Amino acid sequence: MAKKKVARIGRYRILGELGRGAMGIVYRAEDPNLDRIVALKTIILSDDAEGRKDYHKRFFQEAKAAGKLTHPHIVTTYDFGEEGDLAYLAMELLEGTDLRERLLKASLPTADAVDIAYQVADGLAFAHERGVVHRDIKPGNIMLLARGQVKIMDFGIARMRSDDFKTSTGIVLGTPRFMSPEQIAGAPVDQRSDLFSLGAVLYEMLTRAPLFAAEDTPQIAHNVTHVEHVPPSHANPEVTPMLDFVVARALKKDPTVRYQDATEMAGDLRNCLAELHSREAAAGKGRDHVTKTVKLESTDDKAPQAPAARAIVSDTRLPLSRQFDSSAALQRVAAKGGRDRERLARAPRPVGLLRRLARDGGPRLLFAVALTAALAGAYIALG
Amino acid sequence: MSKNKSASVFASVVFLKVQEFARRPVTEQARLRAQLDAVVAVTTAELAPASRIVLEASDGIAVVVLADPAGALRLAERAMAAVAAGLPLSIGINHGAVQAMRSDGMVGDGIAVAASVADFTSPSRILISRSFRSALADAAPGSEAALVPAGTFTDSGLRTHELFRPDPHAARRRARRYAALSTGAVAVLLAAGVAGRVSKVGQESFVEGMLAAYRDTAAQGEKYVRSLVQKVKF
Repeated sequence: MAKKKVARIGRYRILGELGRGAMGIVYRAEDPNLDRIVALKTIILSDDAEGRKDYHKRFFQEAKAAGKLTHPHIVTTYDFGEEGDLAYLAMELLEGTDLRERLLKASLPTADAVDIAYQVADGLAFAHERGVVHRDIKPGNIMLLARGQVKIMDFGIARMRSDDFKTSTGIVLGTPRFMSPEQIAGAPVDQRSDLFSLGAVLYEMLTRAPLFAAEDTPQIAHNVTHVEHVPPSHANPEVTPMLDFVVARALKKDPTVRYQDATEMAGDLRNCLAELHSREAAAGKGRDHVTKTVKLESTDDKAPQAPAARAIVSDTRLPLSRQFDSSAALQRVAAKGGRDRERLARAPRPVGLLRRLARDGGPRLLFAVALTAALAGAYIALG
Repeated sequence: MSKNKSASVFASVVFLKVQEFARRPVTEQARLRAQLDAVVAVTTAELAPASRIVLEASDGIAVVVLADPAGALRLAERAMAAVAAGLPLSIGINHGAVQAMRSDGMVGDGIAVAASVADFTSPSRILISRSFRSALADAAPGSEAALVPAGTFTDSGLRTHELFRPDPHAARRRARRYAALSTGAVAVLLAAGVAGRVSKVGQESFVEGMLAAYRDTAAQGEKYVRSLVQKVKF
């Protein structure tokens, strides 16, 4: 398919190639009926007749569902069909760059990152309300357009791709860095899985650090399932505590304590955006009057994300609170020797009788009274 | 890994957990966290800065108190007062090994057990592990009497913990118990003395001896009173 020059697919006249992916090629094409330029995404169908039938059914089902999603933050699907070994989707052609490429160039301002996440959450909320789950939210599927508009690409068909890979090879291909733990486990997923993925994308936008990164796919899968993230504020001081909470909630391993719907997440992101804008405005105002040097804490040390009480049974690490200065006590703990250090290192001893009598009021009273009464009794007995 | 940590010390860990934190809306989470920070700031103020380390958990705060179990208990009790101000807290206290990590933060079984106790604790309650009770007894013998048994629970690691809870009346009850025991001991020992005397000299002679002693004492008393009356008359 790759080498052969295609002139027409269905009724679409191919004008050029836009890109290639694991599923097939994306063409720039013209719809002669409507005189409209579209992006034509092709998907190579399976050679196996039975598999193809099943794929065909699911493809049409998903494409139909995606076709119903008309929203400012979702790429519109105009048409879909099948020709030869190819299934195709005619979609809105967008002039812009995807988030993955944008992140490779330079870091995003915090407010822009939150705005992008907000728009994606808004689009997801619309799709989820209609029962459509994306299942592959990642920077490569988020398109940035002119004037800051954001659109989610590949709605519906992403699921088919991952399922297809899974059934044919037994493993999920591609990077699982943006997958939810339940997706990695192969469990049934719902809209909360997309919110985990969006949380991972937001994290990466805020920190420019790849979340759950590892050398190989099994290790990434392990990290997604078990490792808690470092709060983004540790890497980016502009991240507000509220934004930390939003990321933490989106990245909960347990879907029952994660955001339950995208509307709620979008609402929180909108609040964060308002907070960031007001901070920016205040900073701008302040700059007009005074010049201030602010010493920022070093962010070299990667502190662990604070786990919840339930998780601490298996992972006991807790980071220091940034609100309180614990350096004096830490120095005591880190001291190499001395009486204080020895005292701290000593486990509690059981309280012996003598110490009890010397320092505990109740037994001391009993002992004193009993001793006196015993002496008096002895005096009576012996005359 | 060991290069990354200091040697371990024993410390009391007070784990202040906000109930159902993860399920709350983010705006409420931010409000509750700010409220919790304020509570910790107020309650740790009475501890010397060199004796407390404040750690962050995603659903609460852990305060590691060095060499002051009574201070840790006071902190927990004062923090619990914040429940009245609308902060839904549950508190677990443990005494165990903790280590400072060079990068940032602390690790240790002391923290893990406090966290699991806090996780098990029902809202607006303080639960305390046996090791903390022992540490409190070691630091101030008798003060552990304020902690009364609250049952046992098995954590997700299948460790069984014996738990206690503070009871403000327990110390008074204990004092009353000791007073009653003292009275009983006096009665028993005096009765034993009397019994010993009776068995030695026989009942009659003991009674006679006692009566004679009583008469002597009464006569002496009468004499004393008379002389006193004479003195007053003059």
